Amino acid sequence: MEYAPEYYDKETLILGVGNILFGDDGFGPAVADYLNERCRAPAGAAILDVGTGVRQILFNLIIAEQKPRRIVIVDALQCGRTPGEVFLVSIEEIPDKKVNDFSVHMVPTLNMLRELRDLCGVEVVVLAAQPENIPELVSGEMTETMKKAVVEAADYISEKYLKECQE
Amino acid sequence: MKTLTIQPVSRIEGGAKITIELDDAGNVSDARVTVLELRGFERFVIGRPVEEMPRITTRICGVCPWSHHLAAAKATDAVFGVTPPPAGRKLRELCNSIAYMEEHILHFYFLGGADFVMGPGADYSVRNVFGIVGKLPDVARQVVKVRHMTAKMLEILAGKAIHPVAAVPGGFSKPLTEEERQKLKEMAKEAFELAKFSMDYAKKNIFPAYLDAVKTVGVIKTGFLGTVANDGSMNLYDGKLRMMDADGKFEDFEAKDYLDHIAEHVEPWSFVKFPYNKNWGAFSMDLDNPVGIYRVNTLARINVADKINTPLANAELEEFRSAFGRPAQLTLLYHWARLIELLYNAERCLELLDDPDITSTETRVAVTPRAARGVGHVEAPRGTLIHDYTTDEKGLVTKANLIVATCQNNAPINMSVKQAAQALIKDGKYDQGILNTVEMTIRAYDPCLSCASHDLDGRIACKISIVNSRGEVLDTLANA
Repeated sequence: MEYAPEYYDKETLILGVGNILFGDDGFGPAVADYLNERCRAPAGAAILDVGTGVRQILFNLIIAEQKPRRIVIVDALQCGRTPGEVFLVSIEEIPDKKVNDFSVHMVPTLNMLRELRDLCGVEVVVLAAQPENIPELVSGEMTETMKKAVVEAADYISEKYLKECQE
Repeated sequence: MKTLTIQPVSRIEGGAKITIELDDAGNVSDARVTVLELRGFERFVIGRPVEEMPRITTRICGVCPWSHHLAAAKATDAVFGVTPPPAGRKLRELCNSIAYMEEHILHFYFLGGADFVMGPGADYSVRNVFGIVGKLPDVARQVVKVRHMTAKMLEILAGKAIHPVAAVPGGFSKPLTEEERQKLKEMAKEAFELAKFSMDYAKKNIFPAYLDAVKTVGVIKTGFLGTVANDGSMNLYDGKLRMMDADGKFEDFEAKDYLDHIAEHVEPWSFVKFPYNKNWGAFSMDLDNPVGIYRVNTLARINVADKINTPLANAELEEFRSAFGRPAQLTLLYHWARLIELLYNAERCLELLDDPDITSTETRVAVTPRAARGVGHVEAPRGTLIHDYTTDEKGLVTKANLIVATCQNNAPINMSVKQAAQALIKDGKYDQGILNTVEMTIRAYDPCLSCASHDLDGRIACKISIVNSRGEVLDTLANA
């Protein structure tokens, strides 16, 4: 498709989502940065820090003809787990609060993820980490607990998704 | 006694909670739009080097990063006391116009437009992107192409489109090559064709069918604020602020003097403040006699501009004005005004790309830290955006204040929702179409609610008050 970004053609698109101004909410962008700094994405994958701009990206993806086969959303999610725990979560399991979460980073709007999966046939994977602290006021610092989760999540993505794209 | 709560307003960027209060007879006695949001950004930046502001502010919100980016860059220009060279200024304006096109196309076709294209009574399951693609496949294909194209244009100009860093204090960091200019021109021509098509299509096929709704839904009478150039023409990147009252009389002032005109009213039920024109008297959202209330965003800019300096958009402005007067007050006309702006930006992009200055390699000037105050403003797609920074002699921020667009429409949105609810919900009777019409009222303002609240210190603002016909509070529900 004309003007479509290169990452539309990838097998796997990894999107680091969240607001780096809100402590542990910066988890997703930190994972994307970590991966991009330490390894070059294989030809079949792209890793993007989309911050709070994920809605624009998802929207364009939904309306595009060409799409990646799989999208991995990396995000901090309050799911009542142990702080720093990294886990996979299905779209159905994401807390309802996220649907209208305008308090912190208002993304990644579940309806868009559902549309991508159900109407566009894209495999949607959500890799989450339980934040220790998402402050109510702007505060750039991520907790040490979450910094460890960043490494764990990045290792998981490398092993599970990036190796596969290399082969 | 019954309280209807509509949540969320599904296609607004961000979200809002609307509470409609009914009296014993089932008629609307009050309605409020509450934003569940808080930030604290202005405290966070204290002590930081001011030159970081254009980069940090794009992280506030991914919906309109360019507006914050450019307002911050302009504020830092003022802090450092420099004027960017012509190419730096024009490259910034070009990015602003492209970002506008990206936003306005999204809003018209997919956020607000879905109401029109599919009809307010349509089921929620089809009132979305896929509904439009199914109904107007050829149009949708072109819209999709131009959406991707505008993102590509910003990438060519600025290196990256998501969290831009190209605007810097003193100018723009990346000069434009001749080859890039040629490529951008071809793209801008396509965007221009879509803008022309959209205007014509809407005037022929969409607006006529909704004129009755336009005349009734969310109608209030207020003043307007926007930016104009020295000759009174529309300008979205630079100029003076024009505050126009509800009867069309106006006063112009420099953005740096905004505090002489704009004050912020506080309501106990909302953390989001209510900016108003303090020179018009004490704040009141009384529908019959509002005081101090002004609106921003597309309709406001169309109203305050004497003219538009691009031919097609100016012809549209004249046609609009002859049909609806100046200032036009009908709220749903925001959509019409948005298309005139889309056309203006498409024309302006082509003008800027033909400007010989645009490929000059002199795009920035050097800056030196100093103690100063600097105010920068742009017209964000959603309205006037003001960044106000003060620094110490090392160039570190000692004070920051942001007046964001949606915040300024806070009072008008509340008033329009109340008006719409009163007109459409009678004797406790309503259906999905009516409730969606209330949502339509909000969507006309295209609010971006994520950055509409600022510098707050605590709880989430969410409160439902239930009052009777005599105004006595019977119950209060708050989540804080």
